[in-house]
Amino acid sequence: MQTQSDTALAITGLTKRYDAVTVLDALELSITRGAIHGLVGLNGSGKTTTIECLLGLQGFQAGTVTVLGHEPTQLYRTQGRVVAIFDTPSLHPGLTVRQNLELARLLCDKPVRSPAHVEKLLGIERYSRFRVSQLSLGNKRRASIAQALLGNPELIILDEPFNGLDAGGVDDVLQLIQHLNRDAGTSFFLCSHQLPYLEQVCTHIAILHKGRIATSGTITDLLGGASSLALVRTEQIDAARALIDAHPGLQARPLDANGYLPVDLGDVSSSELNALLVSNRIGVAELQMQRASLTGLFREINGGGDNV
Amino acid sequence: MSSLLVALRAEAFLVVRGFGGKLVVLAPAGVALLQFLFTQLTTSGQTARQSLLGNNDFDAVAATNAYGYFVDGIKTGLTILTLLLVAQAAYSFSSERDLGTLRHLLIRRASRSNVVLSKLLLLHLQALIAVLLLLLATGWLAGVFWEYGAVVEDGYELISVPEIHAEIRSGILLALLPMPAAIAFGVLVSVSAQSVTQAVTTALGITLTLDIFKSMLGDWGHYLYASFQPSLLDQSYLQDVSRLVRGYSDVLIDERFYQLNLWVPLPTLLLFVVASLIIVRLRQV
Repeated sequence: MQTQSDTALAITGLTKRYDAVTVLDALELSITRGAIHGLVGLNGSGKTTTIECLLGLQGFQAGTVTVLGHEPTQLYRTQGRVVAIFDTPSLHPGLTVRQNLELARLLCDKPVRSPAHVEKLLGIERYSRFRVSQLSLGNKRRASIAQALLGNPELIILDEPFNGLDAGGVDDVLQLIQHLNRDAGTSFFLCSHQLPYLEQVCTHIAILHKGRIATSGTITDLLGGASSLALVRTEQIDAARALIDAHPGLQARPLDANGYLPVDLGDVSSSELNALLVSNRIGVAELQMQRASLTGLFREINGGGDNV
Repeated sequence: MSSLLVALRAEAFLVVRGFGGKLVVLAPAGVALLQFLFTQLTTSGQTARQSLLGNNDFDAVAATNAYGYFVDGIKTGLTILTLLLVAQAAYSFSSERDLGTLRHLLIRRASRSNVVLSKLLLLHLQALIAVLLLLLATGWLAGVFWEYGAVVEDGYELISVPEIHAEIRSGILLALLPMPAAIAFGVLVSVSAQSVTQAVTTALGITLTLDIFKSMLGDWGHYLYASFQPSLLDQSYLQDVSRLVRGYSDVLIDERFYQLNLWVPLPTLLLFVVASLIIVRLRQV
Protein backbone atom coordinates (compact mmCIF):
# COMPACT_ATOMS: atom_id res chain seq x y z
CA MET A 1 0.00 0.00 0.00
CA GLN A 2 1.25 3.47 -0.91
CA THR A 3 1.69 5.84 2.04
CA GLN A 4 1.60 9.61 1.90
CA SER A 5 5.37 9.78 2.27
CA ASP A 6 5.76 7.61 -0.85
CA THR A 7 3.62 10.00 -2.86
CA ALA A 8 5.19 13.04 -4.48
CA LEU A 9 1.99 14.28 -6.04
CA ALA A 10 -1.63 13.26 -5.53
CA ILE A 11 -4.56 14.58 -7.52
CA THR A 12 -8.06 13.44 -6.59
CA GLY A 13 -11.25 14.44 -8.39
CA LEU A 14 -9.67 17.58 -9.87
CA THR A 15 -12.30 19.48 -11.83
CA LYS A 16 -11.54 22.68 -13.68
CA ARG A 17 -14.06 24.57 -15.78
CA TYR A 18 -13.66 27.68 -17.89
CA ASP A 19 -17.23 28.98 -17.96
CA ALA A 20 -19.25 26.15 -19.50
CA VAL A 21 -16.25 24.20 -20.78
CA THR A 22 -14.99 21.45 -18.49
CA VAL A 23 -11.26 21.07 -19.10
CA LEU A 24 -10.48 18.65 -16.28
CA ASP A 25 -13.23 16.29 -15.26
CA ALA A 26 -12.60 14.63 -11.88
CA LEU A 27 -8.98 13.95 -12.78
CA GLU A 28 -7.19 11.31 -10.72
CA LEU A 29 -3.42 10.98 -10.75
CA SER A 30 -0.79 9.89 -8.30
CA ILE A 31 2.97 10.08 -8.68
CA THR A 32 5.25 8.04 -6.47
CA ARG A 33 8.53 9.46 -5.23
CA GLY A 34 11.43 8.60 -7.45
CA ALA A 35 9.28 8.18 -10.56
CA ILE A 36 9.66 9.99 -13.85
CA HIS A 37 6.03 10.46 -14.75
CA GLY A 38 4.92 11.74 -18.13
CA LEU A 39 1.56 13.27 -18.97
CA VAL A 40 0.49 13.34 -22.60
CA GLY A 41 -2.62 14.58 -24.32
CA LEU A 42 -3.91 16.36 -27.40
CA ASN A 43 -3.59 20.13 -27.75
CA GLY A 44 -6.06 21.73 -25.37
CA SER A 45 -6.55 18.52 -23.42
CA GLY A 46 -5.64 20.30 -20.17
CA LYS A 47 -2.01 19.38 -19.57
CA THR A 48 -0.86 22.92 -18.78
CA THR A 49 -4.06 23.58 -16.83
CA THR A 50 -3.27 20.49 -14.73
CA ILE A 51 0.21 21.84 -14.01
CA GLU A 52 -1.09 25.32 -13.18
CA CYS A 53 -3.71 23.88 -10.83
CA LEU A 54 -1.24 21.70 -8.99
CA LEU A 55 1.21 24.60 -8.64
CA GLY A 56 -1.50 26.85 -7.23
CA LEU A 57 -1.26 29.28 -10.13
CA GLN A 58 -4.97 28.96 -10.81
CA GLY A 59 -7.90 27.75 -8.78
CA PHE A 60 -10.18 24.83 -9.53
CA GLN A 61 -13.83 24.03 -8.87
CA ALA A 62 -13.49 20.64 -7.14
CA GLY A 63 -10.99 18.06 -6.02
CA THR A 64 -7.91 17.94 -3.88
CA VAL A 65 -4.28 18.29 -4.85
CA THR A 66 -1.27 17.72 -2.65
CA VAL A 67 2.31 18.23 -3.72
CA LEU A 68 4.85 16.79 -1.27
CA GLY A 69 2.06 16.93 1.31
CA HIS A 70 1.26 20.62 0.69
CA GLU A 71 -1.75 22.29 -0.85
CA PRO A 72 -1.04 24.07 -4.15
CA THR A 73 -1.35 27.60 -2.70
CA GLN A 74 1.04 26.68 0.11
CA LEU A 75 3.80 25.32 -2.11
CA TYR A 76 6.18 28.07 -1.01
CA ARG A 77 6.26 26.29 2.35
CA THR A 78 8.22 23.45 0.72
CA GLN A 79 11.15 25.89 0.68
CA GLY A 80 12.14 25.11 -2.88
CA ARG A 81 11.71 21.31 -2.70
CA VAL A 82 9.35 21.69 -5.67
CA VAL A 83 10.48 23.55 -8.77
CA ALA A 84 8.81 24.01 -12.12
CA ILE A 85 10.09 24.70 -15.61
CA PHE A 86 7.45 26.14 -17.87
CA ASP A 87 6.83 25.96 -21.61
CA THR A 88 8.03 29.55 -22.01
CA PRO A 89 11.40 30.41 -20.43
CA SER A 90 10.54 32.47 -17.36
CA LEU A 91 13.58 34.73 -17.11
CA HIS A 92 14.22 38.45 -16.71
CA PRO A 93 15.24 39.57 -20.22
CA GLY A 94 17.16 42.63 -18.99
CA LEU A 95 19.40 40.60 -16.67
CA THR A 96 22.32 38.42 -17.74
CA VAL A 97 22.16 34.64 -17.56
CA ARG A 98 24.39 34.73 -14.47
CA GLN A 99 22.22 37.38 -12.77
CA ASN A 100 19.09 35.32 -13.44
CA LEU A 101 20.79 32.33 -11.87
CA GLU A 102 21.94 34.39 -8.88
CA LEU A 103 18.35 35.55 -8.43
CA ALA A 104 17.12 31.95 -8.61
CA ARG A 105 19.80 31.03 -6.05
CA LEU A 106 18.25 33.51 -3.62
CA LEU A 107 15.07 31.44 -3.82
CA CYS A 108 16.85 28.21 -2.86
CA ASP A 109 16.71 27.27 0.78
CA LYS A 110 19.89 25.24 0.55
CA PRO A 111 21.68 25.76 -2.78
CA VAL A 112 23.82 22.77 -3.67
CA ARG A 113 25.21 23.97 -6.99
CA SER A 114 26.74 27.28 -7.99
CA PRO A 115 25.50 29.30 -10.98
CA ALA A 116 28.80 28.51 -12.74
CA HIS A 117 28.27 24.79 -12.15
CA VAL A 118 24.74 24.69 -13.59
CA GLU A 119 25.82 26.84 -16.54
CA LYS A 120 28.41 24.19 -17.32
CA LEU A 121 25.90 21.36 -16.82
CA LEU A 122 23.61 22.93 -19.42
CA GLY A 123 26.41 24.04 -21.74
CA ILE A 124 25.67 27.76 -21.49
CA GLU A 125 28.81 28.90 -19.67
CA ARG A 126 29.93 31.04 -22.61
CA TYR A 127 26.64 32.96 -22.51
CA SER A 128 27.00 33.75 -18.82
CA ARG A 129 27.47 37.50 -19.38
CA PHE A 130 24.86 37.73 -22.13
CA ARG A 131 21.54 39.36 -21.41
CA VAL A 132 18.72 36.82 -21.68
CA SER A 133 17.13 38.97 -24.42
CA GLN A 134 20.21 38.25 -26.56
CA LEU A 135 19.88 34.45 -26.32
CA SER A 136 18.28 32.03 -28.77
CA LEU A 137 15.13 30.22 -27.64
CA GLY A 138 17.10 27.03 -27.07
CA ASN A 139 19.63 28.74 -24.82
CA LYS A 140 16.87 30.53 -22.94
CA ARG A 141 15.35 27.10 -22.37
CA ARG A 142 18.70 25.79 -21.09
CA ALA A 143 19.06 28.78 -18.76
CA SER A 144 15.52 28.19 -17.53
CA ILE A 145 16.34 24.55 -16.75
CA ALA A 146 19.60 25.62 -15.10
CA GLN A 147 17.60 27.69 -12.59
CA ALA A 148 15.91 24.54 -11.35
CA LEU A 149 19.17 22.75 -10.66
CA LEU A 150 20.70 25.22 -8.18
CA GLY A 151 19.01 23.56 -5.25
CA ASN A 152 18.25 19.96 -4.55
CA PRO A 153 14.55 19.71 -5.43
CA GLU A 154 12.61 16.58 -4.62
CA LEU A 155 10.12 17.13 -7.40
CA ILE A 156 10.69 18.87 -10.73
CA ILE A 157 7.66 19.68 -12.85
CA LEU A 158 8.36 20.35 -16.51
CA ASP A 159 5.92 21.67 -19.09
CA GLU A 160 7.10 20.95 -22.63
CA PRO A 161 10.79 20.78 -21.61
CA PHE A 162 12.01 19.89 -25.11
CA ASN A 163 10.48 22.86 -26.95
CA GLY A 164 13.10 24.91 -28.77
CA LEU A 165 15.96 22.53 -28.00
CA ASP A 166 18.21 21.10 -30.71
CA ALA A 167 19.06 17.37 -30.77
CA GLY A 168 22.10 17.89 -28.53
CA GLY A 169 20.03 19.92 -26.08
CA VAL A 170 17.36 17.22 -25.93
CA ASP A 171 20.01 14.57 -25.24
CA ASP A 172 21.52 16.74 -22.48
CA VAL A 173 18.14 17.23 -20.84
CA LEU A 174 17.23 13.54 -21.10
CA GLN A 175 20.57 12.57 -19.54
CA LEU A 176 20.18 15.18 -16.84
CA ILE A 177 16.72 13.91 -15.92
CA GLN A 178 17.97 10.32 -15.74
CA HIS A 179 21.07 11.36 -13.81
CA LEU A 180 19.14 13.39 -11.21
CA ASN A 181 16.53 10.68 -10.87
CA ARG A 182 19.12 7.94 -10.40
CA ASP A 183 21.64 9.76 -8.20
CA ALA A 184 19.52 12.20 -6.19
CA GLY A 185 16.20 10.36 -6.27
CA THR A 186 14.49 13.42 -7.78
CA SER A 187 10.93 12.79 -8.97
CA PHE A 188 9.81 14.27 -12.27
CA PHE A 189 6.45 15.15 -13.74
CA LEU A 190 6.72 15.97 -17.43
CA CYS A 191 4.13 17.18 -19.90
CA SER A 192 5.24 16.98 -23.49
CA HIS A 193 4.15 16.42 -27.05
CA GLN A 194 7.45 14.71 -27.79
CA LEU A 195 6.25 11.17 -27.17
CA PRO A 196 9.45 9.38 -28.29
CA TYR A 197 11.46 11.42 -25.76
CA LEU A 198 8.98 10.64 -23.00
CA GLU A 199 9.15 6.98 -23.94
CA GLN A 200 12.94 7.11 -23.55
CA VAL A 201 13.00 8.74 -20.17
CA CYS A 202 9.74 8.09 -18.30
CA THR A 203 9.10 5.26 -15.91
CA HIS A 204 5.36 6.02 -15.86
CA ILE A 205 2.96 7.57 -18.35
CA ALA A 206 -0.57 8.91 -18.07
CA ILE A 207 -2.64 9.78 -21.12
CA LEU A 208 -5.08 12.63 -20.70
CA HIS A 209 -8.20 12.35 -22.83
CA LYS A 210 -11.38 14.41 -22.54
CA GLY A 211 -10.38 15.78 -19.13
CA ARG A 212 -9.69 12.41 -17.59
CA ILE A 213 -6.78 10.01 -17.37
CA ALA A 214 -7.60 7.48 -20.10
CA THR A 215 -4.80 5.15 -19.09
CA SER A 216 -1.85 5.28 -16.77
CA GLY A 217 0.88 2.97 -15.58
CA THR A 218 4.47 2.01 -16.09
CA ILE A 219 5.83 2.22 -19.61
CA THR A 220 6.42 -1.53 -19.65
CA ASP A 221 2.86 -2.34 -18.60
CA LEU A 222 1.30 0.15 -20.99
CA LEU A 223 3.29 -0.86 -24.05
CA GLY A 224 3.11 -4.53 -23.15
CA GLY A 225 -0.66 -4.18 -23.18
CA ALA A 226 -0.74 -2.45 -26.54
CA SER A 227 -1.82 -4.68 -29.40
CA SER A 228 0.90 -6.11 -31.68
CA LEU A 229 0.47 -5.15 -35.27
CA ALA A 230 1.90 -6.78 -38.38
CA LEU A 231 1.97 -5.05 -41.75
CA VAL A 232 1.51 -7.38 -44.72
CA ARG A 233 2.12 -6.50 -48.37
CA THR A 234 0.44 -8.83 -50.83
CA GLU A 235 -1.25 -8.65 -54.21
CA GLN A 236 -4.10 -10.89 -53.04
CA ILE A 237 -5.61 -8.46 -50.56
CA ASP A 238 -9.15 -9.81 -50.52
CA ALA A 239 -8.12 -13.44 -50.17
CA ALA A 240 -5.65 -12.54 -47.42
CA ARG A 241 -8.24 -10.52 -45.54
CA ALA A 242 -10.81 -13.33 -45.71
CA LEU A 243 -8.27 -15.87 -44.50
CA ILE A 244 -7.04 -13.68 -41.64
CA ASP A 245 -10.52 -12.76 -40.43
CA ALA A 246 -11.51 -16.44 -40.43
CA HIS A 247 -8.57 -17.36 -38.20
CA PRO A 248 -9.22 -17.13 -34.45
CA GLY A 249 -7.23 -14.31 -32.75
CA LEU A 250 -6.35 -12.48 -35.98
CA GLN A 251 -8.06 -9.33 -37.20
CA ALA A 252 -7.37 -7.46 -40.43
CA ARG A 253 -7.74 -3.70 -40.52
CA PRO A 254 -8.42 -1.47 -43.54
CA LEU A 255 -5.47 -0.95 -45.91
CA ASP A 256 -3.20 1.83 -44.77
CA ALA A 257 -2.05 4.74 -46.94
CA ASN A 258 1.09 2.84 -48.03
CA GLY A 259 -0.83 -0.21 -49.28
CA TYR A 260 -0.04 -2.42 -46.30
CA LEU A 261 -2.67 -4.60 -44.73
CA PRO A 262 -2.42 -4.08 -40.96
CA VAL A 263 -3.17 -7.20 -38.93
CA ASP A 264 -3.81 -7.34 -35.20
CA LEU A 265 -1.90 -10.41 -34.10
CA GLY A 266 -3.34 -11.05 -30.66
CA ASP A 267 -1.52 -14.13 -29.37
CA VAL A 268 -0.43 -15.25 -32.83
CA SER A 269 3.21 -14.74 -33.79
CA SER A 270 4.32 -13.12 -37.03
CA SER A 271 5.89 -16.37 -38.25
CA GLU A 272 2.56 -18.19 -37.69
CA LEU A 273 0.80 -15.49 -39.73
CA ASN A 274 3.37 -15.86 -42.52
CA ALA A 275 2.98 -19.67 -42.47
CA LEU A 276 -0.82 -19.34 -42.59
CA LEU A 277 -0.71 -17.07 -45.65
CA VAL A 278 1.93 -19.06 -47.55
CA SER A 279 0.28 -22.42 -46.82
CA ASN A 280 -2.92 -21.02 -48.37
CA ARG A 281 -0.99 -19.97 -51.52
CA ILE A 282 -1.11 -16.29 -50.80
CA GLY A 283 2.13 -14.66 -51.88
CA VAL A 284 3.63 -12.47 -49.17
CA ALA A 285 5.82 -9.75 -50.68
CA GLU A 286 6.66 -8.23 -47.32
CA LEU A 287 5.80 -8.72 -43.67
CA GLN A 288 6.98 -6.38 -40.98
CA MET A 289 6.18 -5.94 -37.30
CA GLN A 290 5.09 -2.59 -36.03
CA ARG A 291 6.63 -2.21 -32.58
CA ALA A 292 4.24 -1.08 -29.84
CA SER A 293 5.06 2.54 -29.08
CA LEU A 294 3.72 5.35 -26.97
CA THR A 295 2.73 7.14 -30.16
CA GLY A 296 0.74 4.10 -31.29
CA LEU A 297 -0.95 3.76 -27.91
CA PHE A 298 -1.70 7.49 -27.85
CA ARG A 299 -3.29 7.34 -31.31
CA GLU A 300 -5.29 4.29 -30.33
CA ILE A 301 -6.74 6.12 -27.32
CA ASN A 302 -7.40 9.31 -29.22
CA GLY A 303 -9.11 7.49 -32.08
CA GLY A 304 -6.34 7.92 -34.62
CA GLY A 305 -5.86 11.65 -34.00
CA ASP A 306 -2.27 12.55 -34.69
CA ASN A 307 -2.38 16.03 -33.27
CA VAL A 308 0.25 15.06 -30.73
CA MET B 1 14.23 32.58 6.21
CA SER B 2 10.72 34.00 6.21
CA SER B 3 8.67 34.22 3.06
CA LEU B 4 8.56 38.04 3.25
CA LEU B 5 12.32 38.31 3.67
CA VAL B 6 12.94 36.08 0.64
CA ALA B 7 10.49 38.16 -1.43
CA LEU B 8 12.21 41.36 -0.25
CA ARG B 9 15.66 40.04 -1.18
CA ALA B 10 14.48 38.97 -4.62
CA GLU B 11 12.78 42.32 -5.19
CA ALA B 12 15.84 44.25 -3.98
CA PHE B 13 18.01 42.20 -6.37
CA LEU B 14 15.83 43.30 -9.29
CA VAL B 15 15.55 46.93 -8.19
CA VAL B 16 19.33 47.33 -7.83
CA ARG B 17 20.03 45.79 -11.24
CA GLY B 18 17.01 47.05 -13.15
CA PHE B 19 16.62 50.30 -15.08
CA GLY B 20 13.33 51.27 -13.40
CA GLY B 21 14.79 51.40 -9.90
CA LYS B 22 17.64 53.67 -10.97
CA LEU B 23 15.26 55.93 -12.89
CA VAL B 24 12.96 56.37 -9.88
CA VAL B 25 15.85 57.26 -7.58
CA LEU B 26 17.85 59.52 -9.92
CA ALA B 27 15.37 61.17 -12.29
CA PRO B 28 13.57 63.51 -9.81
CA ALA B 29 16.85 65.06 -8.61
CA GLY B 30 18.17 65.15 -12.18
CA VAL B 31 15.11 66.96 -13.53
CA ALA B 32 15.13 69.44 -10.61
CA LEU B 33 18.79 70.22 -11.26
CA LEU B 34 18.11 70.77 -14.95
CA GLN B 35 15.30 73.12 -14.01
CA PHE B 36 17.78 75.11 -11.85
CA LEU B 37 20.25 75.36 -14.70
CA PHE B 38 17.65 76.71 -17.13
CA THR B 39 16.24 79.09 -14.49
CA GLN B 40 19.73 80.37 -13.67
CA LEU B 41 20.46 80.98 -17.34
CA THR B 42 17.17 82.88 -17.77
CA THR B 43 17.39 84.93 -14.55
CA SER B 44 21.04 85.81 -15.18
CA GLY B 45 20.03 87.34 -18.49
CA GLN B 46 17.10 89.19 -16.94
CA THR B 47 19.21 90.48 -14.00
CA ALA B 48 21.85 91.77 -16.37
CA ARG B 49 19.15 93.54 -18.40
CA GLN B 50 17.57 95.08 -15.24
CA SER B 51 20.98 96.26 -14.00
CA LEU B 52 21.72 97.92 -17.32
CA LEU B 53 18.34 99.70 -17.12
CA GLY B 54 19.09 100.73 -13.49
CA ASN B 55 16.00 98.96 -12.06
CA ASN B 56 16.21 97.22 -8.67
CA ASP B 57 12.69 96.39 -7.52
CA PHE B 58 11.31 93.84 -5.05
CA ASP B 59 10.92 91.18 -7.74
CA ALA B 60 14.64 91.34 -8.39
CA VAL B 61 15.41 90.98 -4.67
CA ALA B 62 13.00 88.05 -4.30
CA ALA B 63 14.55 86.43 -7.36
CA THR B 64 17.90 86.13 -5.61
CA ASN B 65 16.55 84.17 -2.61
CA ALA B 66 17.44 80.48 -2.91
CA TYR B 67 14.49 79.24 -0.83
CA GLY B 68 11.98 79.91 -3.61
CA TYR B 69 14.04 77.97 -6.13
CA PHE B 70 14.65 75.22 -3.61
CA VAL B 71 10.89 74.76 -3.12
CA ASP B 72 10.30 74.88 -6.88
CA GLY B 73 12.93 72.18 -7.37
CA ILE B 74 11.32 70.01 -4.70
CA LYS B 75 7.90 70.51 -6.30
CA THR B 76 9.15 69.53 -9.75
CA GLY B 77 11.07 66.57 -8.34
CA LEU B 78 8.11 65.28 -6.33
CA THR B 79 5.78 65.63 -9.34
CA ILE B 80 8.15 63.55 -11.46
CA LEU B 81 8.72 61.12 -8.60
CA THR B 82 5.00 60.53 -8.05
CA LEU B 83 4.40 59.79 -11.72
CA LEU B 84 7.44 57.49 -11.90
CA LEU B 85 6.42 55.66 -8.73
CA VAL B 86 2.88 55.10 -10.00
CA ALA B 87 4.26 53.76 -13.29
CA GLN B 88 6.89 51.63 -11.56
CA ALA B 89 4.32 50.26 -9.10
CA ALA B 90 1.98 49.39 -11.96
CA TYR B 91 4.87 47.71 -13.79
CA SER B 92 6.23 45.81 -10.80
CA PHE B 93 3.76 42.96 -10.39
CA SER B 94 2.25 42.83 -13.87
CA SER B 95 5.62 42.64 -15.64
CA GLU B 96 6.70 39.68 -13.52
CA ARG B 97 3.40 37.98 -14.21
CA ASP B 98 3.77 38.57 -17.95
CA LEU B 99 7.35 37.26 -17.94
CA GLY B 100 6.35 34.25 -15.86
CA THR B 101 9.08 34.94 -13.30
CA LEU B 102 6.47 35.52 -10.59
CA ARG B 103 5.54 31.83 -10.75
CA HIS B 104 9.01 30.78 -9.58
CA LEU B 105 8.83 33.04 -6.57
CA LEU B 106 5.36 31.79 -5.63
CA ILE B 107 6.18 28.12 -6.08
CA ARG B 108 9.54 28.16 -4.32
CA ARG B 109 9.57 30.57 -1.44
CA ALA B 110 7.02 33.37 -1.14
CA SER B 111 3.28 33.72 -0.64
CA ARG B 112 1.27 35.99 -2.92
CA SER B 113 0.61 38.47 -0.11
CA ASN B 114 4.30 38.69 0.72
CA VAL B 115 5.22 39.29 -2.92
CA VAL B 116 2.83 42.26 -2.99
CA LEU B 117 4.06 43.56 0.37
CA SER B 118 7.69 43.23 -0.70
CA LYS B 119 7.00 45.30 -3.81
CA LEU B 120 5.21 47.95 -1.75
CA LEU B 121 8.05 48.13 0.77
CA LEU B 122 10.77 48.34 -1.88
CA LEU B 123 8.87 51.06 -3.76
CA HIS B 124 8.65 53.04 -0.52
CA LEU B 125 12.35 52.55 0.06
CA GLN B 126 13.08 53.82 -3.46
CA ALA B 127 10.79 56.79 -2.82
CA LEU B 128 12.61 57.56 0.43
CA ILE B 129 16.04 57.45 -1.22
CA ALA B 130 14.77 59.53 -4.15
CA VAL B 131 13.33 62.18 -1.80
CA LEU B 132 16.55 62.37 0.25
CA LEU B 133 18.61 62.69 -2.91
CA LEU B 134 16.23 65.31 -4.24
CA LEU B 135 16.45 67.37 -1.02
CA LEU B 136 20.24 67.16 -0.92
CA ALA B 137 20.75 67.95 -4.59
CA THR B 138 18.26 70.83 -4.79
CA GLY B 139 19.37 72.23 -1.43
CA TRP B 140 22.99 72.22 -2.52
CA LEU B 141 22.55 73.61 -6.05
CA ALA B 142 20.05 76.31 -5.01
CA GLY B 143 22.73 77.48 -2.54
CA VAL B 144 25.36 77.50 -5.30
CA PHE B 145 23.25 79.58 -7.71
CA TRP B 146 21.38 81.83 -5.25
CA GLU B 147 21.60 82.90 -1.62
CA TYR B 148 19.60 81.51 1.29
CA GLY B 149 18.19 84.17 3.61
CA ALA B 150 15.14 85.85 5.10
CA VAL B 151 12.68 87.67 2.84
CA VAL B 152 13.54 91.36 3.28
CA GLU B 153 11.92 94.42 1.70
CA ASP B 154 13.24 97.93 2.25
CA GLY B 155 15.29 96.70 5.24
CA TYR B 156 12.19 95.13 6.87
CA GLU B 157 12.23 91.36 7.41
CA LEU B 158 8.95 90.04 6.02
CA ILE B 159 9.62 86.37 6.77
CA SER B 160 12.45 85.11 8.95
CA VAL B 161 14.62 82.08 8.13
CA PRO B 162 13.12 79.91 10.94
CA GLU B 163 9.62 80.73 9.62
CA ILE B 164 10.68 79.79 6.11
CA HIS B 165 12.16 76.51 7.38
CA ALA B 166 8.97 75.71 9.28
CA GLU B 167 6.81 76.34 6.21
CA ILE B 168 9.08 74.31 3.92
CA ARG B 169 9.10 71.41 6.42
CA SER B 170 5.33 71.56 6.63
CA GLY B 171 4.93 71.79 2.83
CA ILE B 172 7.23 68.82 2.19
CA LEU B 173 5.55 66.70 4.87
CA LEU B 174 2.08 67.41 3.50
CA ALA B 175 3.27 66.73 -0.06
CA LEU B 176 4.84 63.40 0.94
CA LEU B 177 1.82 62.07 2.84
CA PRO B 178 -0.20 61.11 -0.29
CA MET B 179 2.79 59.38 -1.90
CA PRO B 180 2.26 55.94 -0.23
CA ALA B 181 -1.36 55.99 -1.42
CA ALA B 182 -0.18 56.79 -4.96
CA ILE B 183 2.26 53.84 -4.80
CA ALA B 184 -0.43 51.52 -3.44
CA PHE B 185 -2.77 52.67 -6.22
CA GLY B 186 -0.14 51.64 -8.80
CA VAL B 187 0.24 48.23 -7.14
CA LEU B 188 -3.54 47.77 -7.03
CA VAL B 189 -3.77 48.44 -10.76
CA SER B 190 -0.80 46.12 -11.30
CA VAL B 191 -2.40 43.13 -9.58
CA SER B 192 -5.75 43.78 -11.27
CA ALA B 193 -4.61 44.37 -14.86
CA GLN B 194 -4.43 41.70 -17.57
CA SER B 195 -1.03 42.80 -18.88
CA VAL B 196 1.85 45.10 -18.10
CA THR B 197 0.89 47.55 -20.85
CA GLN B 198 -2.65 47.75 -19.54
CA ALA B 199 -1.39 48.23 -15.97
CA VAL B 200 1.01 51.09 -16.73
CA THR B 201 -1.31 52.96 -19.09
CA THR B 202 -4.27 52.59 -16.74
CA ALA B 203 -2.37 53.71 -13.64
CA LEU B 204 -0.81 56.73 -15.36
CA GLY B 205 -4.01 57.54 -17.21
CA ILE B 206 -6.11 57.58 -14.05
CA THR B 207 -3.46 59.60 -12.15
CA LEU B 208 -3.32 62.25 -14.88
CA THR B 209 -7.12 62.28 -15.22
CA LEU B 210 -7.48 62.89 -11.48
CA ASP B 211 -4.94 65.69 -11.81
CA ILE B 212 -6.91 67.38 -14.57
CA PHE B 213 -10.38 66.99 -13.10
CA LYS B 214 -9.71 67.31 -9.34
CA SER B 215 -10.46 71.04 -9.39
CA MET B 216 -13.93 70.31 -10.84
CA LEU B 217 -14.80 68.24 -7.78
CA GLY B 218 -14.87 71.34 -5.59
CA ASP B 219 -14.72 70.55 -1.88
CA TRP B 220 -15.16 66.84 -2.63
CA GLY B 221 -11.72 66.94 -4.20
CA HIS B 222 -10.25 67.31 -0.71
CA TYR B 223 -11.33 63.74 0.04
CA LEU B 224 -9.11 62.54 -2.78
CA TYR B 225 -5.51 61.72 -1.89
CA ALA B 226 -4.34 63.00 -5.28
CA SER B 227 -5.43 66.56 -4.44
CA PHE B 228 -2.60 66.88 -1.96
CA GLN B 229 0.29 65.60 -4.03
CA PRO B 230 2.48 67.89 -6.16
CA SER B 231 1.30 67.48 -9.74
CA LEU B 232 1.20 69.13 -13.13
CA LEU B 233 -1.86 71.15 -12.05
CA ASP B 234 -0.62 71.64 -8.53
CA GLN B 235 -3.02 72.29 -5.65
CA SER B 236 -0.71 71.04 -2.90
CA TYR B 237 0.42 73.21 -0.02
CA LEU B 238 3.94 73.15 -1.46
CA GLN B 239 2.62 75.41 -4.24
CA ASP B 240 1.61 77.99 -1.57
CA VAL B 241 4.96 77.56 0.21
CA SER B 242 6.73 78.46 -3.02
CA ARG B 243 4.94 81.85 -3.04
CA LEU B 244 5.22 82.29 0.72
CA VAL B 245 9.01 81.97 0.86
CA ARG B 246 9.27 84.59 -1.89
CA GLY B 247 7.22 87.02 0.15
CA TYR B 248 4.29 87.07 -2.28
CA SER B 249 1.85 85.73 0.27
CA ASP B 250 1.42 85.69 4.02
CA VAL B 251 -1.61 83.43 3.96
CA LEU B 252 -0.84 80.27 5.87
CA ILE B 253 -2.53 76.94 5.29
CA ASP B 254 -6.29 76.60 5.72
CA GLU B 255 -6.94 74.47 8.81
CA ARG B 256 -9.55 72.25 7.12
CA PHE B 257 -7.28 71.63 4.12
CA TYR B 258 -4.45 70.85 6.53
CA GLN B 259 -6.50 68.29 8.49
CA LEU B 260 -7.78 66.58 5.35
CA ASN B 261 -4.24 66.51 3.94
CA LEU B 262 -3.15 64.81 7.15
CA TRP B 263 -5.95 62.23 7.37
CA VAL B 264 -7.24 61.40 3.88
CA PRO B 265 -4.16 59.63 2.43
CA LEU B 266 -3.78 57.03 5.21
CA PRO B 267 -7.18 55.28 4.92
CA THR B 268 -6.83 55.47 1.14
CA LEU B 269 -3.48 53.70 1.42
CA LEU B 270 -4.97 51.00 3.63
CA LEU B 271 -7.91 50.55 1.28
CA PHE B 272 -5.62 50.11 -1.74
CA VAL B 273 -3.31 47.69 0.10
CA VAL B 274 -6.17 45.53 1.39
CA ALA B 275 -7.81 45.48 -2.06
CA SER B 276 -4.48 44.49 -3.65
CA LEU B 277 -3.99 41.64 -1.15
CA ILE B 278 -7.50 40.32 -1.75
CA ILE B 279 -7.26 40.51 -5.53
CA VAL B 280 -3.83 38.87 -5.68
CA ARG B 281 -5.11 35.89 -3.69
CA LEU B 282 -8.08 35.38 -5.98
CA ARG B 283 -6.68 35.82 -9.44
CA GLN B 284 -4.82 33.51 -11.81
CA VAL B 285 -1.08 34.17 -11.98
